Amino acid sequence: MLEIIKLKGISRLYKIGQVKVTALNEIDLSIEEGEFVTIMGPSGSGKSTLLNIIGCLDRPSAGTYELSQKRVEKLSDSALADIRNKYIGFVFQRFHLMPALDALGNVQLPLIYRGVFGRERRKRAKAALEMVGLADRMHHTPSQLSGGEQQRVAIARAIVVEPTVILADEPTGSLDSKSGSNIMSIFRNLNREQGITIVQVTHSEEMAQYGSKVVRILDGQIERIDKVG
Amino acid sequence: MALIRKFLTIFVRVWFTAKMAMQGILSNPLRSALTILGVTIGVTSVVSLMGIGEGARLAVIEQFESLGTNVIQIQSHHASVVFEPEYADELVERVDGLLVATPIVNTKATMKWRRAIGSVEILGASSDFPTVRDHKLIAGHFFTSLHVKQRSPVAVLGYNIATGLLNGRNVVGYTLTLNGQTFRIIGVLAQKGNGVADNIDNKIVIPYSTALKLDDKRTVSEIWGKAPTSLDADLAVVQLSRIIKKKLGIGAGSSGSPSVPTDPGIIEKEMLLKAAAGGYVVYDSVMPYPGSGSSSGSSNLSFIGEDIVTITNLNQLVEEADSANRVMTLLLGGIAAVSLLVGGLGIMNIMMVAVNERIEEIGLRRAVGAKQGDLLLQFLLEALYVSIIGTIAGIVAGVWGLGIFENLGYETAVSMHAIKIASAVALSSGLLFGVYPAISASSVPPIEALRRQ
Repeated sequence: MLEIIKLKGISRLYKIGQVKVTALNEIDLSIEEGEFVTIMGPSGSGKSTLLNIIGCLDRPSAGTYELSQKRVEKLSDSALADIRNKYIGFVFQRFHLMPALDALGNVQLPLIYRGVFGRERRKRAKAALEMVGLADRMHHTPSQLSGGEQQRVAIARAIVVEPTVILADEPTGSLDSKSGSNIMSIFRNLNREQGITIVQVTHSEEMAQYGSKVVRILDGQIERIDKVG
Repeated sequence: MALIRKFLTIFVRVWFTAKMAMQGILSNPLRSALTILGVTIGVTSVVSLMGIGEGARLAVIEQFESLGTNVIQIQSHHASVVFEPEYADELVERVDGLLVATPIVNTKATMKWRRAIGSVEILGASSDFPTVRDHKLIAGHFFTSLHVKQRSPVAVLGYNIATGLLNGRNVVGYTLTLNGQTFRIIGVLAQKGNGVADNIDNKIVIPYSTALKLDDKRTVSEIWGKAPTSLDADLAVVQLSRIIKKKLGIGAGSSGSPSVPTDPGIIEKEMLLKAAAGGYVVYDSVMPYPGSGSSSGSSNLSFIGEDIVTITNLNQLVEEADSANRVMTLLLGGIAAVSLLVGGLGIMNIMMVAVNERIEEIGLRRAVGAKQGDLLLQFLLEALYVSIIGTIAGIVAGVWGLGIFENLGYETAVSMHAIKIASAVALSSGLLFGVYPAISASSVPPIEALRRQ
C-alpha cells in the first residue's frame, strides 16, 4: 500500500517564556492510503499537535514529513496554504462554519481558494452535500441546522476538494451520542466506499472502534499502535 | 494557457474576497453605519466649509471686478495737490500702458425730484467713464465729450436711484434738480451690486465740468485710468509714479522743490528703498520703513509721513484679497480635515474589533487554503468600503448643505478642489488605518486562530 503520510523523527518544541515544552518527541509514523487511523491519548499528550502538523497547520521543530511523497516541513506559509487546500480536508470539534453563508456556500469555500468557477463549484458542493445526506438542507445557514447537521456540512466541506486525507479533531466532541455515531458512520462509509484516508483524534474508545488502527500517544511519544477488531 | 488559468484563479479569489468584505460590513449594520457616519461627517465638513470659503472668495472677487478690470486710481490725499482736468488726457498721451483716463470729482448735492428733496452723491467724470469702469447702460446713453465740453446739465443715474424715482419705470427724458440746477436724465447705469467702496448704484454721474460748477469748492481729486491688459497696468503704475513724482517736484533730479525738504539724504533714502522693495515709494525721514503692500504694484508718494498721492492698481488689490481668502479657505479645510482623521481612527477601532470577533473565521479560511494575502485584502477592502461609502455620503451631504446655505442667502461654491482633497484624505486614511488591523488579521497563526473561543 502507498504511504501517503510519512513522519520521521518529528519533534515539536514550544517556548513559553523561559520554559521549553516538548509537545512531540521524535515521532515516527506512517499512514497508508485507505487507512482510518485514530489518535488517542490523555489531554496534553500532544495528539492535537500531531494532527496539526499532519494537517500542515503547524511546522515541526525537527524531523521530516512527507505528504504524498512530497517533503512539506520546510515549505513557505503560502505553499502550505495550497497544500492544505489541495490535499487535506479538515473537520473540527466546533465545526467552524461561516455563520453568514448557507450550507452550499460553506461547502464551496475551499473551492473558491482553488479558483473553481461558480457553476462548477456549486455542482461539486451539491454532490458533496448529497453524500452526507443534506441534499434538502443546502440553503440553510448554520444557525438553522442542528449540531449533527452542522458537522455533516463540515464533512461535506472536507470531501469537496477530494482530499488525500481527512483530518478530524474530536469530530463528535460537541455532539450527543446519537449524532456522534451518525457522524462516525458517515466517516466509515467514506473510508470504506470512497477509499478516503481518515485520521481522527478522539478521547472516546467507542468512537475509536470505527477506525482500523489506534495510535496511542503519551507525553509526546507513541506508546503503542493497536489494530482494531 | 497556464497564465490565463492562473489569472482566472486569482479573479475568483479576489471577487469572492470583495464579496466577503461587503458581507463583513452588512453583518453588523448599525456598527458599520456609525463608522461610516464618522467618515461622512469629516467629508461633509471639508466639502461644506471649503465651499463656504470658496464662495466668500468668489464674492470678493466679484465685488472687485465690479470696479472694472485693469483700473488704476490716482488719488490725491492732500489739499495742496490738485489735478487739472486736462491732466488725465496728458497722462494717457505720456503713459504707454494707459488706454483712457477720466478726471473724477466726488461731491454731494441736494436733489429735488418732484416734491421730494434729499442729499445725493455726485460723481463727475468724462465721457470715458463707462470704458474705465466697464459700465453698461440699461437705458438711454452716456454723455459725450461734447456734453463735457459744453458743461451740459445732463445726468446718468445709478441703478438704485433710477429705479427709486418712478417705481422702476424708465426715467430717461425726465428732469431733476441738483443744487437748484435742472438736469436732464439721459441714461441709467446697469446694476453693479455692492462694489467695494464705490457704491455707484446710489450715485448720479454728471460731466466733471458740470460737477466742478455745482459749487466753488470742488476740485479734481482723482484720476481713474484703464490699461488694456494687466501687464500694461503694472507698467503704467511704474510710469505714472515717475511722472507724478517729477510733477510734484520730489525724487531724482528735482531736489529744491519748495514743498519738499531739500535734504540730500532724501534722495539717498529713496534709492535705498527702490533697491530694497523694488517699488516706487518715496518716504521721508518720519517713516523709516516701507509699509506692506506698497511694494507690490501700488505706489505712494509721501510727504511728512502722510501719503499725498497714491497710485493704486486695482488688480493688485484683487490679488491680495484673493490670496488672503485662499489661505482662509485652506485653513477651514484643514480644520475640517482633522475630523476626517478622527473618522479614520474610527475605522481602525472598528476593524480591530472585527478582526478579534472573526478570529475563528480567519483560522478556518486559513485551514481551507486562504493565504495571508487573501485575508489582508479582505480586511483592507472592508475598511476601504467604509471610507468609500462614507466619502460618497459626505460629498452628497456637503453639496446638499451648501445648497441650504445658499438658500439662506450666502454665496457658496461647490469646490471640485475640496471634493478631491476630502476624497483623497478620506480614502487614504481608510486605507492607512485599515492596514494595521488587516495585517494583524492575516498574521495570526491558523492553529491559534482556530483554538481561540
